[in-house]
Amino acid sequence: MRWNGKTLLWALALVGFILLPQLITVKYYLHLSILALCWVIAAQGQNLIQGYTGYVSIVQAGFMGIGAYSTALMGLHYDLPVWLTILLAPCVTAVFAVLTGYPSLRVKGHYFAVVTLAFNLVIFIVLMNWHDLTQGEAGITGIPKPGGKDSWLNWRDRGTYYYFVLSIAILMTGLAALIVRSRIGQTLIAIRQNEDLVGAIGIAAWKYKLFAFVTSAMYAGLAGAIYAHYQSFINPEIFGVAQSLDAILAVIIGGSGTIAGPVIGAFFVVFLPEYLRFADSFRLILYGLVLVLATIFMPRGIVGVAGDLWAKVKGKPS
Amino acid sequence: MIEILQQIINGMAIGGVYVLIALGLTTVFGILGIAHFAHGSVSMFGGYLTFFLVVMWGLPLALAILIALVVGFLLGVLIELLAYRPVRNANHINAFIVALGLTMMVEGLNLEFFGHEQVVIPTDFSRVFNIGGVTIPELRLYVILAAALLIAAMTIFVEKTKTGQAIRAVAENRDAAILMGVNVNTIPLVVFSISTALGVCAGVMVGALFAIAPGIGEGLVVKGFAVLILGGLGSIPGAVVGGLVLGITEALAAGFISSAYKDVIAFVAMILVLLVRPQGLMGKA
Repeated sequence: MRWNGKTLLWALALVGFILLPQLITVKYYLHLSILALCWVIAAQGQNLIQGYTGYVSIVQAGFMGIGAYSTALMGLHYDLPVWLTILLAPCVTAVFAVLTGYPSLRVKGHYFAVVTLAFNLVIFIVLMNWHDLTQGEAGITGIPKPGGKDSWLNWRDRGTYYYFVLSIAILMTGLAALIVRSRIGQTLIAIRQNEDLVGAIGIAAWKYKLFAFVTSAMYAGLAGAIYAHYQSFINPEIFGVAQSLDAILAVIIGGSGTIAGPVIGAFFVVFLPEYLRFADSFRLILYGLVLVLATIFMPRGIVGVAGDLWAKVKGKPS
Repeated sequence: MIEILQQIINGMAIGGVYVLIALGLTTVFGILGIAHFAHGSVSMFGGYLTFFLVVMWGLPLALAILIALVVGFLLGVLIELLAYRPVRNANHINAFIVALGLTMMVEGLNLEFFGHEQVVIPTDFSRVFNIGGVTIPELRLYVILAAALLIAAMTIFVEKTKTGQAIRAVAENRDAAILMGVNVNTIPLVVFSISTALGVCAGVMVGALFAIAPGIGEGLVVKGFAVLILGGLGSIPGAVVGGLVLGITEALAAGFISSAYKDVIAFVAMILVLLVRPQGLMGKA
């Protein structure tokens, strides 16, 4: 690995993230940071399908829901250890992703987005109405923390959970980087740029698209599972279409098709509403406006703008 | 048997609404290549506005619908000029994300202007017809007739008029249309005004038949796209067949299986069609 400016920035960011709980004095911000790290994982997944493969999927929050409910239900009904259910949750999500991805990836572009959105609606309706399983709108309470009773770590402490989520977020970000650099990742980028050409040179594009979709779903499932064990409580509310739009927003604002983008974007979508304490309707208008303006004026997101500035400072034409 | 017929009649009313939404979506998609996702929310805006004019200002229903059509038309033109035109030449994913952003904005505007309350547009059509045991509420009958009339008008417009011809030409081959002297800057505005007008009509129908509430618009636009997926892209007969199939499936599901899961069943039907016929029921392979 070359020790250039980029690696230096990553190292600085890593140190920043590790020191963060020591720097934060208000507990509430630590809580938000943990949520943001969950969103980093979900957004990295969203970026794989949206940013790299070029297919907008509007079901990321729905898949988070599947992950969250499956880890909670497996833990409560079968008495499985928490680490196991957290690992199983993405696998359950993957099964659903294959079942929906296979038919929906047969349609191109926008229709894929609409089918995924329909699927998010289906997930939401089922979570709301299947009372016997999900307890409907009231939600599931008493989801255990990891580690059990005799753990040497105090999992009820937010700081502990922060480092737990942080290490998973780092792991998943690294995995995303590896995927993108691999031959598979390069094929995904090729699909985004020219899917017909990919088909023409004899690559079965649908396999790669399905891979990207299922992987992104597994990221979401994992994020949902971690979220469930952090909050100890889940209900369908936060797994709706609006939250899937947040995942899209995170990728666009941060910088789609970059590894750093979802990290920045996730913190953006978690912290921005906290600073803009408007009524719900204003928040929607403002969010929509940000999304529209960002897409028109900075389609490559914060990372893209920062990259351009950096290039200007160094005097290189971008 | 009568029960089945009854549900089919019910399904035709809601199916007619879906067809109107789908026609608005498919014309925009054909011309601009944009999945106009805000269409449902704009339609709901039209419905809300009609309700507001009728209940708050005491205007007659027909006048209120007319005003809602004009305002909705202006909103559609604004959306085209300010939001979609700048991304016309960017890649499609950007246009789609702009559409999502617009949806949030219009939903927010609806909340801001009309509140969270669920509203029903009051009408005088309360008679109920009974034909051989099948009951048809007057309102439902008018909705079906109005939808059929609008679909016929739309078909004649697109197939027979000069402007309709220009619209089809741009959808078919944009560059050739420019060479033939079609003004490709005004065509999108025409398309948006027609599409929004159809949408507002659909919004009023939903408001009178069922109710308008936050979030209904999103559900409606998804149904509209589902109709296009079912019927096949870019064909008016496809949209009609798709809309009726979706509406009737939903009504039968609600009547015989479960009304909470009717949307789930409708979407599953859509996914099954995709598996067997990716090009849609009426689409060409």
